[in-house]
Amino acid sequence: MPEDLAIRIEDLSISYKVSLEAKRTLKNAVMRASLKQKERTRTIEAVKHLTLDVPHGSVLGIVGSNGAGKSTLMRCVAGILSPTEGRVTVNGKISTLLALGVGFNPALSGRDNIILGGLASGLNMDEISNKTDEIAEFAALPDGFIDLPVRTYSSGMYGRLSFAVAVSMTPDILLLDEALSAGDAAFKEKSFERMRQLCAEARTIVIVSHALATVTDLCDSAIWMHKGQMLSKGKPEAIVDEYLKFLNVGSLPSSYEDM
Amino acid sequence: MPVNENFVPKIQVFEPHRASLPPLGPYLKEFWTRRVFATELARFSDKAEYLDSRLGKVWLVLNPLLLGLIYYLVVEIIRPGGGLPGLTRLDHLLIGLFTFYFAQNCVTAGAQSITLGGRLILNQAFPRALLPLSCAIQAFQQFLWTIPVYIFVLIGGKLAYPTTEVPGWTWNFLWIPFIVICTGLTGFGLALIFATLNVYFRDTNKLLTYITRIWMYLSPVLWLPSSLRGHMKILLWVNPLGPVLNATSRVWVSGVSLNKSTIVGCIFWALASILMGGYYFISRERDFAIRI
Ligand SMILES: Nc1ncnc2c1ncn2[C@@H]1O[C@H](COP(=O)(O)OP(=O)(O)OP(=O)(O)O)[C@@H](O)[C@H]1O
Ligand SMILES: [Mg+2]
Repeated sequence: MPEDLAIRIEDLSISYKVSLEAKRTLKNAVMRASLKQKERTRTIEAVKHLTLDVPHGSVLGIVGSNGAGKSTLMRCVAGILSPTEGRVTVNGKISTLLALGVGFNPALSGRDNIILGGLASGLNMDEISNKTDEIAEFAALPDGFIDLPVRTYSSGMYGRLSFAVAVSMTPDILLLDEALSAGDAAFKEKSFERMRQLCAEARTIVIVSHALATVTDLCDSAIWMHKGQMLSKGKPEAIVDEYLKFLNVGSLPSSYEDM
Repeated sequence: MPVNENFVPKIQVFEPHRASLPPLGPYLKEFWTRRVFATELARFSDKAEYLDSRLGKVWLVLNPLLLGLIYYLVVEIIRPGGGLPGLTRLDHLLIGLFTFYFAQNCVTAGAQSITLGGRLILNQAFPRALLPLSCAIQAFQQFLWTIPVYIFVLIGGKLAYPTTEVPGWTWNFLWIPFIVICTGLTGFGLALIFATLNVYFRDTNKLLTYITRIWMYLSPVLWLPSSLRGHMKILLWVNPLGPVLNATSRVWVSGVSLNKSTIVGCIFWALASILMGGYYFISRERDFAIRI
C-alpha cells in the first residue's frame, strides 16, 4: 500500500446473511434437523464491489439514501465487520463514532463512561485520566451533568459526550456516522472547528451524513452510494448536486442505469 | 501529503475469513494491552449494579450464606444417618458451594456478555473475549467476598465444638490459590463456549439454567467425594469441575495435600476448557457483529 494512503478499499463486498426464522434458537435448529429441513436465509448484499482510496489528511463525505450501505462500509473500515470479498487496508490509529454512539452504560455517570469508552478504544489509564477533564470541558454539558448517570441525558447531550470522546482519542483516522445530527448549532460549530483542526494536523476523516451542508462544508471529496454501489465520486458540491437531483427526480440519471 | 508528526504507521488488513483463527500473535497482544478494559468494566458493572441498593454488597455475602444454610438443612434431613460430624459437612458444603458458584457465575454471566454487549460490539473493534473475561473477574471478586463468610463460620464452629476435626492453619492451604486459578480458568473457558453458542442460538441461556442445576447435583458439593463407590467415581473426572471441587474439599475442609491425579485433573480441565473455548470463540468472533 502506498505510504500516502490512509485507507485503501479494494473490490469490497459485504453481505449479511439474515435468518428468516422468527428466532434463531437451539429448539428450532433441532426441530429443523429432525425434519431434515434447511434454515431459510436471505443474503443481503449491503456493499458491492467498491474500490476506493483515501489519502492521509483528506476529509471524505459519504452520501446516499437509507439502506445504501454507508454504515456497513464504515463498520468494515473500523474492523468491526469483516469483508465477504475483497480487502480493506488501513494505516493509522482509528477512532469511531458510529450511529449508535459508544457502548455507554446508562446507569453510570458521564465521567465513568468516558473512562470505559477510552479503554475500549485502546487508551491506557494514564492517557484517559489526563483527558477526562478535557473531554468533559469540550462536551460542555450543563452544570454538573458530567457526574450524573447517562440515562438522565438528553439525546443531544449524549451526542456531545460521544463526539468529545471520539475526537479526544487523537486518531489518525476518524470515522463519523451521523455523529453531528443531535448537537445544537453552537456545538455543531465547535465540532466543525475541531474537525478542521484535526484535518490541519493531516488526520483523515470520513463523514457519513444526511445533512448535506455538513458534507459540502467540511469535505474535500465525496462519494455517493446507492444500493451498495458507489455511483460517483468527486468534489462534494458536484456529488451533493447529483444526489439532490436524484432525490427530487426519484430515479437514477440515465447514465447510471446500466450499473 | 504531510503526515502529522505523531503518526505511527499501523497497518491493518481486513480480509474475508472462513471459520478459522485470526493471526493469534496480534490478537493476544491486543487482548493483553486492553486487559485493563476488562478489569475496569468489571468494576463499573459492579458499581452500576449496586449503585441503587445500599444493601447490594450485603446481599453479595448474605445470598451465598443463606443458600448454603438451606442446602445444609436439606442435606441434613435426607441424610441416611451416621457419616461425618455436622460441622465438617457444613464446611464442605459452604466452600464447595462458593467455589461452584464462582465457576457458575463465570459461565452464566459470560454466556450473556456478547449478546448483551450490543452497542459496544457494533461500534468498537476490540478482542471480544474481553467481555467474558470481565464477567470472570466480577465472579472472582464476588467469590472473594464469600471467603470471610466461610472463615467466620469455621471459627464460630471451632469455638462451639472444640473437638471438631476441621483443621486450623496448615501449610496445605497454600494449594488454595492453585485451586482458585484452575476454577477460574475452567469457568472462563466454558463461558467462551456458551457465549459463542448463545450468539447462534438465543435459547442457550435458558438451557444453561438447567445445565448448571444438574451440573451442581453431579458435582461433589452436596455430597462428599469420598461417598462415591465403584465406577461412580468417574463423576469426579468427567465433570470439568470435578477435580477442583474434590481438591477444594481435600484442602479447605480436610486440610490435607493434593495427590498427583487430582492436580493433573485440575490442570487438564483448566487447559482443555481454555483451549477449546478459546478456539471456538476466537474463530467465530468476527461473526458476532453481524449476528447480534
Ligand atoms: N445487522 C444487520 N443484519 C442484516 N442486515 C443488515 C444489518 N445492518 C444493515 N443491514 C442491511 O444492510 C443494508 C445497508 O445498511 P446500512 O445500515 O449500511 O445502510 P445506511 O446506508 O447506513 O443507511 P442509513 O442512511 O439509514 O443509516 C440494508 O439493506 C440493511 O437492511
Ligand atoms: Mg447508517
